[in-house]
Amino acid sequence: MLVIGEVHTGLLQNSGEISEPACRQVLGLMSGETVRVSRRPIVHALSPERLTGVDCALPAASGSRIRGVGTVVSRCAVTGGRVAQGSSYVRVARSETDRRLSWSHYLARPGVVEVLGKAKAADIAEGFAGDGAPRGHGCLDLTAITGRFLDLVQTSPLLNRRAPFRMPRTILRWVAETGEPSIGFTLHTEQERSLRLTHPGPFTPAVVDLCEDLAMHDWLLTSLLVVVERARVGATPAAEVAARLSPAVDHLLHLWMPAARVEERLTPFWESLERRPGFSRQWRSLVDRVRDQVAVHTLALLSANAETGGR
Amino acid sequence: MLVFAISDKGGTGRSVTGTNIAYRHALQGNDVCYLDFDFGSPTAGAIFSVSAVARGTRENGLHEYLRGDCPQPRRVDVWAESDREGLRTRPPGAGRLMLLPGSEGGGELSALTEEVVGRCVQLFGRLEEEFDLCMVDVSAGRSFTAELVLAATVRMPAVPFRWLVFHRWTRQHIIAADGLVTGTDGLFDVGTRFGHDPEVLRDRIRFVRTAVLEPDAAELVGLRDEQRAWLSACDSELRELAGRHGVGRTTMLGKVPLDPVLQWREQLITDEDVLASKIANVETAAAFDDLAKKIVDDNAWEGL
Ligand SMILES: Nc1ncnc2c1ncn2[C@@H]1O[C@H](COP(=O)(O)OP(=O)(O)OP(=O)(O)O)[C@@H](O)[C@H]1O
Ligand SMILES: [Mg+2]
Repeated sequence: MLVIGEVHTGLLQNSGEISEPACRQVLGLMSGETVRVSRRPIVHALSPERLTGVDCALPAASGSRIRGVGTVVSRCAVTGGRVAQGSSYVRVARSETDRRLSWSHYLARPGVVEVLGKAKAADIAEGFAGDGAPRGHGCLDLTAITGRFLDLVQTSPLLNRRAPFRMPRTILRWVAETGEPSIGFTLHTEQERSLRLTHPGPFTPAVVDLCEDLAMHDWLLTSLLVVVERARVGATPAAEVAARLSPAVDHLLHLWMPAARVEERLTPFWESLERRPGFSRQWRSLVDRVRDQVAVHTLALLSANAETGGR
Repeated sequence: MLVFAISDKGGTGRSVTGTNIAYRHALQGNDVCYLDFDFGSPTAGAIFSVSAVARGTRENGLHEYLRGDCPQPRRVDVWAESDREGLRTRPPGAGRLMLLPGSEGGGELSALTEEVVGRCVQLFGRLEEEFDLCMVDVSAGRSFTAELVLAATVRMPAVPFRWLVFHRWTRQHIIAADGLVTGTDGLFDVGTRFGHDPEVLRDRIRFVRTAVLEPDAAELVGLRDEQRAWLSACDSELRELAGRHGVGRTTMLGKVPLDPVLQWREQLITDEDVLASKIANVETAAAFDDLAKKIVDDNAWEGL
């Protein structure tokens, strides 16, 4: 029917970026299974996947009660040794029967939640990702599940918790369906976003990679906006502005690599978002602003030094 | 940084001083959240002038969250939701100021279970990721709430925390504040039992004197010489007593003068109250401002 998922993104709670071996350790939440690492064009480490069993109501915009039983797939990722993510998704499928089957049935279909009874995909999609979607008690709570996975990373004893700046996590809720290609990205609150995706052909985990990649870049952009706002360019002395911008220069600017890990077949979706709302365009203009401020300050310092040196 | 506000006695000025410190810290450009863990009487909403949560929130309060009855506690953006004109817009350069209200009619915590401690750890961990300062009103005296906080912080060794013990400048209050820290079932006692290193814990506790009337205060100008001499003698006696009880100058982070406005009403002291309407004293605002700087100034917290 459809796939729904959530990606939570935050600044890794460590003073500096962590090395590839450290990423492996932090993400090795389960012994026996290995962390997948890709090194180009940026180090990206992905934890093994874990399942959470659920038997609960599914979100529904109409408010009708839809019961789903199955498992949620979750995982964590660290990009550039600096950005941490928790990610969960479920494939919503119609059940062959109207009653709940044994757990072995559901465990044989990891990441699938079967709907008992009638349900419309559009109702679930809107209930999950729509604006102000009512999320009642006892409803499938991907936010809680995903948040806990990100907590696992952030509370790792290998991290020193001395992050260079404070930044809220962002939450991206996504819905993917098969059909005529289209993509829609919506900002809701300061921290919540939603993504509606229609892709040709059947769902594959590459769609999850795409959502995680988008979520990370949205977080980078959001965070850089916050850092620039906090710096109060024009209202504070240049030295102070430069000092407030420096964490962004040190920790964020080099991480921008849109679509780096996105499967060829899905890159048109990124390209479409580059046209509108234009992620990279906004990013570049912010980066220029940051670099200009820092450069102006450096020049001022240099000329001040030259003056005192010449005297 | 997590900062826990506690006092031995009720009515010492813990909430009023704690909220004003949080407010000043936000004005200084930091992102701040204030957690009302005074579950018996969650009144922080009233001090921030958010009437919708003046006595706590009906839904998704901190108490409910800790009991596991809601996935996340409600957040109130003070800059957006305060009823006070002067608070309703975020001043330029100020950080976020978020109130996490208690539950209306929530009642004291009745027990300390593994689940409750786990939820508290999750809450503190996530807020600390996001805010420069998390100020927690732990309520008065020895309580499950204080134990909860001690149990939670021992599980997050990398997360920095500090304690502020509020007390008035009287014999009884000085002795009681010392007792709360060093006495039976006091902070050291319980903290050590839960696995805190007593030496480390000691370095993370400072005292704050509230509603202090200095012998040379303007309020005392009309006094007779005999009265002034008597007050002065009292004050030095108290200073000597405080020193003996480890509540003296070295362990004191700061003091807040008695302010007529606060004597009449629990509220935030804004610059407008001081400069425009002139109802509050400059010294009071300055004391809050100073404390707001000192809570994060490592020099003020160096080992004794
Ligand atoms: N600096 C001050 N000058 C004058 N009055 C003050 C000052 N600080 C606090 N007060 C007043 O003292 C009373 C008690 O303060 P507050 O409510 O903050 O105490 P508390 O310790 O939080 O009490 P409780 O334990 O009941 O929660 C209030 O009326 C408050 O306005
Ligand atoms: Mg109080």
